[in-house]
Amino acid sequence: MHQEMKIKAAAGILIGGLLAGCASTPTSPSAESPDPYEGMNRSFYNFNDSIDRNFFEPVARGYVKVTPDPVRAGVTKFFGNVGYINIIANDLLQGKGGQLVKDTGRFVVNSTVGIGGLFDPATSIGMPEHDEDLGQTFGTWGMGEGAYLVLPLMGPNSFRDLPNSASSMLLNPLTYLNAVVTLPLGVLNAVNTRANLLEASSIRDQAALDPYTFVREAYRQQREYKIYDGNPPGDGFEDYIEDKSDAAILKIY
Amino acid sequence: MHRRLQLVLPFCLLFLCALPSGATQTEAQATVEKLHNVLLETMRQGAQLGFAGRAAKLAPALAASFDFETISRLTTGRYWAQIPTDKKREFIEVFTQLSTATYAANFKDFDGERFATRAQEDKKSAQLIKTVLIKADGKEVSLNYLLAKAQGKWRIVNVVAQGVSDLSLKRAEYTAVIGSEGIDALIAKLKAKVASYGH
Repeated sequence: MHQEMKIKAAAGILIGGLLAGCASTPTSPSAESPDPYEGMNRSFYNFNDSIDRNFFEPVARGYVKVTPDPVRAGVTKFFGNVGYINIIANDLLQGKGGQLVKDTGRFVVNSTVGIGGLFDPATSIGMPEHDEDLGQTFGTWGMGEGAYLVLPLMGPNSFRDLPNSASSMLLNPLTYLNAVVTLPLGVLNAVNTRANLLEASSIRDQAALDPYTFVREAYRQQREYKIYDGNPPGDGFEDYIEDKSDAAILKIY
Repeated sequence: MHRRLQLVLPFCLLFLCALPSGATQTEAQATVEKLHNVLLETMRQGAQLGFAGRAAKLAPALAASFDFETISRLTTGRYWAQIPTDKKREFIEVFTQLSTATYAANFKDFDGERFATRAQEDKKSAQLIKTVLIKADGKEVSLNYLLAKAQGKWRIVNVVAQGVSDLSLKRAEYTAVIGSEGIDALIAKLKAKVASYGH
């Protein structure tokens, strides 16, 4: 159900985005504005936020209350493992040979010894978890992030990251099982994922002056961080520290 | 024994020669690790100190380890030059209070966490200290600190948690508020935030 909604939402936005693209060039926003669709994005943000506050967040809190920590950790590991083929495929697309071998080993070990991915023995034998997806692959190929987007029910995204949902779904074995199995699993995955984000959303609620801007910038930075595997190039603050000039300040963005 | 000393001595001398450049690195690292120690102490005494107690304990440690003036300059971006001096002072003051309140609210209890320094990199004249917060279950949260030297002391100007830069987040928010509503509105919003943390 969650996945079906994801597909529909992604298709709708893709079409909407393509139509909008006829009038402008959304895939190459100016450095000044990474968010040319801010008006539309804010409406979807508010829509998502009200559904989240009234439904997903309370459900996630209830789930955390009734589910012991180790069970939730197992659920997170299971969905992480079953989606790991997508990571292996993107290792290949990014030409990360060593990581590809380790990630394939990880998937095999955790699927078997780790009982269908519920446990993670692979990390302790030198095959740690990696995080790759198609958007990151496009990033490593040199594609710019494109316009920032907020998708209904799915949240923050960008033109570069838009195909992620489709690729991760197509490469997820659960997609090809009977709906009787995928439906409850999809709901569990959605609730568990939201539960894992409770800490992040409470930091947002506590710290943000404007939650929309806060989420947008956090999303964009985290994507950059992942593309560079945790070592993104400097953000310009070093240049200011170097010469303390107003010119350096203006170059940060 | 003497022979051993003779063997070791040249290495000691080599190490001493290498100190001048290494010394500044150690200072930056010491700033971060000192802060981490105070954070751990505060977390351990979290419940008995209460919010006000934690804030009182953290305030001097944060003032010593962060360069709030440079941070204020960077979060307000191109608007800084236009802000009158008294407002700049007010902004720095409320920003310092906000940072203290944020730390006091978030580092409130101890659950077996520890910090570890992983690497140190030169970033032009700044230093990047890469650390992790390790939770009891072994999960790591990466915390990278950017430090600059001002008045002879290495102090923190940015914290990047799991790739999310605090300075960039605040800069995006603050410049948007100043641009649409002005510096007075921003100061008022930050004061309201500080007040909200205490409750």
